[in-house]
Amino acid sequence: MIQSIDYAAIAPPLIVAVAAIALLLADAFGASRRVLGLVSLGAVGAALVTVIALALGDRRATFCLTGDLRGNGPPSCSYVTDDFTLIFQGVVLAAALVVVLLSLEEITAAGARLPAGEFHFLLLAAIAGALTLVAARDLVLLVVALETLSLPVFALVALRRYDGVASEAALKLFLVSVISTAVMLFGISLLYGVTGAMHLDRVAPALGRVPGDLEPVAAVGVVMVLAGFAFKVAAVPFHFWAPDVYQGAPLPVTAFLSVVSKAAGFAGLTIVVALGLPAYGHVWGPVLGVLAAVTMTLGNLVALRQRSAIRLLAWSSIAQSGYMLAPLAVGDERLPEAVAATVAYVAIYSVMNIGAFAVVIGFRRRAGAPAAGPAPSWDTLDDYRGLARRNPATAAAMAFFLICLAGLPPGVMGLFAKIVVFRATVAGGATWLAVVMAVNTVIALYYYLAWAARLFAAPSGAAEPPRMPRGAAVRAAIGAAAAGAVVLSVAPQLVLQAAAAIT
Amino acid sequence: MDDYFGSYLVVVVLLLLGCGIVGGGLAANRLLRPHRLTEEKLTTYECGVDPVGEGWAQSYVRYYVFAYLYVVFAVDAVFLFPWATVFAAPGFGTTTLVEMFVFLGFLFTGLVYAGRKGVLSWV
Repeated sequence: MIQSIDYAAIAPPLIVAVAAIALLLADAFGASRRVLGLVSLGAVGAALVTVIALALGDRRATFCLTGDLRGNGPPSCSYVTDDFTLIFQGVVLAAALVVVLLSLEEITAAGARLPAGEFHFLLLAAIAGALTLVAARDLVLLVVALETLSLPVFALVALRRYDGVASEAALKLFLVSVISTAVMLFGISLLYGVTGAMHLDRVAPALGRVPGDLEPVAAVGVVMVLAGFAFKVAAVPFHFWAPDVYQGAPLPVTAFLSVVSKAAGFAGLTIVVALGLPAYGHVWGPVLGVLAAVTMTLGNLVALRQRSAIRLLAWSSIAQSGYMLAPLAVGDERLPEAVAATVAYVAIYSVMNIGAFAVVIGFRRRAGAPAAGPAPSWDTLDDYRGLARRNPATAAAMAFFLICLAGLPPGVMGLFAKIVVFRATVAGGATWLAVVMAVNTVIALYYYLAWAARLFAAPSGAAEPPRMPRGAAVRAAIGAAAAGAVVLSVAPQLVLQAAAAIT
Repeated sequence: MDDYFGSYLVVVVLLLLGCGIVGGGLAANRLLRPHRLTEEKLTTYECGVDPVGEGWAQSYVRYYVFAYLYVVFAVDAVFLFPWATVFAAPGFGTTTLVEMFVFLGFLFTGLVYAGRKGVLSWV
């Protein structure tokens, strides 16, 4: 009757969750900000080490159905650490490590106005949710993990209580999230009603033999389940929270939303459609295709008009979501290849986007700009003019991240990610989507390159060209992201082969 | 399908009857009653006491934290009741007992945090 728990399998989220509670108590009993930040960093690092250790060992699964409940069916484990899970847990934790590094100065520094203990508690709770989400293989655990990821983020966004922009952003995020969760839960209830199962390895065969008069119900359920994940990855029409929230939230939280939360959302979406709903590929395939096309087109067109660095990154990450969705548009035809393409793109996107955010955060902290000030004072693209003269290394890193995001050589990893996505999309027969993607890639070149060119342009007269801060943590974060980007550009097969191996 | 929706006809009739009784009563009252207003009749009725101050008043919701904490423990009780009915049954036992105390430990952590942050002391 009692499920046995494999503690080794659940170690990564367990370490992070226990550390979160320990931090909350430590803060209540008056630990210093510095200690809190270091414990948080250590917990994420320890979880990353366990993920690497798990990757070297056997594949594990836990919380499986027991005895008579299982019957003669499939094993039905709720929590599975297979290659897919481990890749995503690695991506989530590596990105989370950079986010914590970035927050050390932005939030944890003495004199900052944000509560450090609560910040780290909420951040670690959200990371634990992301780690569970990518390992979840039944609908209930997926929803619970998705909410564990979402709920702390509302509070994190609203943490700058003295700032009206932050409160507005948090409220928008909350409302969109609640609506999409409600729609998704309704969809899950329909799927459960049709199939009588919650574990994805039981839902999938049951959906294959749905009686004719229930097929519309199942199709509606499938589309509604996609809604919850479309919110998490900021796909149109659930995208409009992204620019305001990215601008209103503390910047490390923005980086978290744009990388960790998005990667986990894509993992959840991929798990559900590939493992649970392959029988309805003819329904969700075209839906995701249209979503991808609209998302990338709208994201790129609006990004063209942005003058603020954060908003540009927000719209660009919406557009990138479109590319990541595109391979899944093939439906159940050549699905493994499509999943591999999406996984590879998400992993590569995480490296380059967290790097771009690290530079923007370091840039914001320069010249006495308050770390948590009321309005971004150095946030327009023109402020980046002349960065290369004062800080050649940082400007070079930023230019490299932007070129990777655009997908041009020498940013080979961005280029390869796009090629993999193109190949999977064309191979699956969605040629029209590949054409839309090609047009969008060209549009995106303009704003990425315009920003990169500004880094090397002459400073615009009046304003003193900004100097990057001395902070070691931000520099370490930029350095780590840049090192990852260079390594993956020299050897993109590291990610591509790992992604191809999962299926 | 006709039968299915037909069975709701009773509900609709009942609804119309109810509206008719309430609406008819109020309308009859309005037609029959004398209509002589005085200053005192027009004041807001506040349980018979003379109304004091404006209609728009602000109060300090000091007790909202206690409301939150109450919700936490009410939810906790929702889990405790089904647990209490099965934990002694064969097949459960010590593990089940320990699991519930782990869960209670999490709740207690929240209470300790709230206490340390000073929200439990009445100002």
